[in-house]
Amino acid sequence: MTSNKSRFPKPLSRRAVVRATALAGTAFGACLAAGRGPLGFVRDAWAEKAYPALGNYPIKGSTVKFGFTVPLTGAYTDEGNDEIKAYKLAVKHINEGGGILSTLKPLNLKGQGILGKKVDFVSGDNQTKPDAARENARRMIERDGIIMYSGCSSSAVAVALQYLAQEKGVIYMVGLSHSNDTTGKDRRRYGFREFFDAYMSGVALGPILAKEYGKDRRAFHLTADYTWGHTQYQSMKDATEKQGWKTVKNIMTPLGTKDFSQYLTAVLNSDADVVVLNHYGADMVNSLTQAVRFGMRDKQVNGKHMQIVVPLYSRLMAKGAGAKNIEGILGTVNWNEKLTDAGSKIFVKAFQDVYKEPPSQAAQTAYLQTILYANAVERAGTFYPPEVIKALEGFEYEGFGPGKSTYRASDHQVFKDIYVVRGKAPSKMANQFDLLEIVEQIPRKEVEYDSKLLGGDLGPYIPNKT
Amino acid sequence: MNAANLSLQLLTGLQIGAIYVMIALGLTLIFGTLGVANFAHGALFMIGAYLGYVVAEATNHWVAFIAVPPAVFLVGIVIERTLVRFFYNRPASDQILVTFGLALVLQELMRWIFGGTNLPYGTPPWATVPVDIGIGYYPPWRLVIVGVTAAAVLGLFLLLRYTRFGLVVRAGMRDPEMLGFLGIDVPKRFTLVFGLGALFAGIAGVIGGPITGVTPDIGMAVLVPSFLVVVIGGMGSLAGAVISGLILGEAVSLSVLIYPPSTQIIVYLIAAVVLLWRPRGLLGVKGVME
Amino acid sequence: MITPFGARSRYREFWIMSGVAAVLAALPWLLTLIGGYTELATPILLWGMFALGFDILLGFTGLLSFGHAAFWGLGGYASGMILLRVSNDLLLAVAAGTVVGGAASALLGYLTLRRRGIYFSILTLAFAEMFYYAALAPLQDWTGGDNGLTGIPAAQLFGIAMKGWPIYAVIAAATFAGIYVARRIARSPYGLILRAIKANETRVASTGIHTRHYKFAAFVISGLYAGLAGALSAAYQTYVPTDALHWTTSGQLVMMAVIGGTGTLFGPMLGAGIVLYLQNVLSATIPQWLLVQGLIFMAFVVFLPGGVVEAGRRLARALSRGRKRQPPVPDAASVKGVGSVHAD
Repeated sequence: MTSNKSRFPKPLSRRAVVRATALAGTAFGACLAAGRGPLGFVRDAWAEKAYPALGNYPIKGSTVKFGFTVPLTGAYTDEGNDEIKAYKLAVKHINEGGGILSTLKPLNLKGQGILGKKVDFVSGDNQTKPDAARENARRMIERDGIIMYSGCSSSAVAVALQYLAQEKGVIYMVGLSHSNDTTGKDRRRYGFREFFDAYMSGVALGPILAKEYGKDRRAFHLTADYTWGHTQYQSMKDATEKQGWKTVKNIMTPLGTKDFSQYLTAVLNSDADVVVLNHYGADMVNSLTQAVRFGMRDKQVNGKHMQIVVPLYSRLMAKGAGAKNIEGILGTVNWNEKLTDAGSKIFVKAFQDVYKEPPSQAAQTAYLQTILYANAVERAGTFYPPEVIKALEGFEYEGFGPGKSTYRASDHQVFKDIYVVRGKAPSKMANQFDLLEIVEQIPRKEVEYDSKLLGGDLGPYIPNKT
Repeated sequence: MNAANLSLQLLTGLQIGAIYVMIALGLTLIFGTLGVANFAHGALFMIGAYLGYVVAEATNHWVAFIAVPPAVFLVGIVIERTLVRFFYNRPASDQILVTFGLALVLQELMRWIFGGTNLPYGTPPWATVPVDIGIGYYPPWRLVIVGVTAAAVLGLFLLLRYTRFGLVVRAGMRDPEMLGFLGIDVPKRFTLVFGLGALFAGIAGVIGGPITGVTPDIGMAVLVPSFLVVVIGGMGSLAGAVISGLILGEAVSLSVLIYPPSTQIIVYLIAAVVLLWRPRGLLGVKGVME
Repeated sequence: MITPFGARSRYREFWIMSGVAAVLAALPWLLTLIGGYTELATPILLWGMFALGFDILLGFTGLLSFGHAAFWGLGGYASGMILLRVSNDLLLAVAAGTVVGGAASALLGYLTLRRRGIYFSILTLAFAEMFYYAALAPLQDWTGGDNGLTGIPAAQLFGIAMKGWPIYAVIAAATFAGIYVARRIARSPYGLILRAIKANETRVASTGIHTRHYKFAAFVISGLYAGLAGALSAAYQTYVPTDALHWTTSGQLVMMAVIGGTGTLFGPMLGAGIVLYLQNVLSATIPQWLLVQGLIFMAFVVFLPGGVVEAGRRLARALSRGRKRQPPVPDAASVKGVGSVHAD
């Protein structure tokens, strides 16, 4: 068995014993995981079956470490800050109980850590860059011995981290990533994504856009030039063209562009009457504000009022752009803090009590992913990654957000209802955080698609030993 | 594409070029007179943007416009007095290295004080409504940028042409040693020139901040193209800096219409072509920095 | 430290290289003693090799290039693409990367060496940035754009998978060879001419030597080293980020060289270790570690242009104050700085 661990070689005897019991242990563990018997409060190492060493498994000691790599600098800093807050909250709830542990079903966690071990964490700034993220993650895996890592706000980062996870045998719970590729052509066995993807956004928005703005529209796209932007553009193009719209042109803008003036003048120079901003984070804040300043909201083209669409929304971005600018603009979100189900309400309250402001969708997905992982470990009865993976695959749960959600086994993507939202008029805002109103909740079956649609191959349970 | 649309794109190019010109002016002034490649110039721009944000939030944009550039001028003086002037006799690479290090330190200092997130440096309320300039609607603040830059260029030109100080500066660009022989207090002049360069960077920061955003890395982001502007125009040539700044701004803007993926590369391509054809730059003065 | 070849005892070279081999072997463990971790040794060696070649250009020939990330990055992309699309063989990938790095440096050297001083530095920066933006946008189908080159399979060398310890051994061996070659170059008459060019190019040219050819060769050598290091890095990381081509990578290389001490070959390698250590270990504890790194860099440029190596020398001299002081050696350059020659 090849392992990437670079620790001091242990005394031969223990290693031999562990290997000898590997087969028996795997069989026993599989029985435990498959069975529904109460796992009880397992405190000792013996209760966790002796699987072969893989990644940073097995864990020594009474604490288990998670690694969180979030962007604290770069285009997606705001989401990164929110994510780390949510991660801290999730760790607290895992260790002490509370939060959605009271609403999530089926729940195996007891609010006393995972399998009797307390959870600790390390974190790093990935600067919204894939290589910094990989360095962070590598360091956390090799030096800090983390058993799982999570976090990102850029799909490029997510993809890079997923490949690393597959290589190192350490599970990666994707943070905020919207690109189709993350669970599409770049899907990996060791990566899991709860956040919805661009395809779902496109399918959800298409009909609503046609309803609001008519079927005879000409759209100009400005797209962030990386994996997420590409797939978002593709999905929006397909969805709107299905409704009868024409796509005039698409211009790729580098991630982190500050000044969009030359692109916006190009839009004004064309005969488009809708501009779709396939941007997120700071990109969107800048491009939207500048688009408004260039008079796009008041412009009339072909007798129609010009419209702006922001397919992927977030409350943080809305705040950055300002209520006046986002008023009336349509987009989609993964989750909204105004949802009325018990789980959402508890999460919002817990977050607000600590941080004095409501959580964003970045925080929501970060929090949920951590809890789902911990829960899966408890279900599997072990930290051994392939078993945890199997526990997550096909996992159906409810108790946070609307209805039932499923972690689909064929692509490690969660499917659930998503939301189309619209920016609120400043006069209608209840408080400074009340920026988005829900237009429609799109049921899950409308946005589901065949996993073969996006291609990709998950890869093996045990990392390759070429 | 009709004439109105094209002119709109040209106007955008003008405005993009304006920021480059402002920074390049300071750079070439310092370059030509002191012989120092000031890699910290972008950081001065960044400081101008941050100070502009702070003052504008506290009071209003007019106060910021009046108060911040002199503040950056002072910062420039301090930098020159405490650091740069010890490097006049050091090899060129040392000057680059120390100003590069200074730029990094200033950048991280700002990140420490203000955090890494983008500060919402807005434009004044009257500038958020686009104005009709005949060929279309345009954000007024960008027109302000073009106007301020034009005024600054004119002011600098007048300063250099018609004042004693300007005369000394122009002489110093040709032959600083000779100046010393003539009994002119060269160190003091150098300090003032460095401060003047910083002043321009500060102005650029105050008016450009709302456009570029206010983050610690805007300094470096704007430095590289500005250096190219200086080199293309010719070291030590102010007219060259203005012309090449405008050319590059227009190139960036028009490339969007022709072949969008080239927008980023076009600046470097032009630099490469010009420097291979005319190594001294378009209007480079013979003997400067050879 | 860099004496002409054959000037001193032949055994001296043997002892030095043995010392190098010992350090290379023990580095992973040494790191754990100072709060690092064993796997940090591999990036340190990779950057060390990168900095080694760079020192031949900066420390010996006196040319400050801000564009070397281009050769490192291109070497990485070439190697990555070979591993991804052509074959698993490490030797092939590394050879491709080295050749590409060398070719790119030949091209860039030809274009930029027409100018000197600051012009040269800015030109290297400009051309390197072109590669970066080309990789990001127009060529993204090849390079993966912002994603970088992902999913590179692990390389193979004579049937052994290149992961973990095996690849460290290979990289250490490559570093060893690189150091030996670099020292041979530095201590040859050729190296002497390079140092003379740094001290006063006009004077050297007046003796009839075509300085441009020597500078060009130095540039290409540093490019070959960069390509080699980049290629190995791609195989090690199984990933090539577009940022590998960005000027900040070049800037980091310059910082390593200066902090370590230019002109000493070992200095920049030491600098690589220091900077990477700061990055990986310090960054976890102090959030403002970049500020600390910048201040350290500036302190070295201002007060200790000779870097850590210089500090070590001064310390050694101070400790042996009992011995009679040597008269100051006349320097070709006016003032001692990073850009000046170290008399030996």
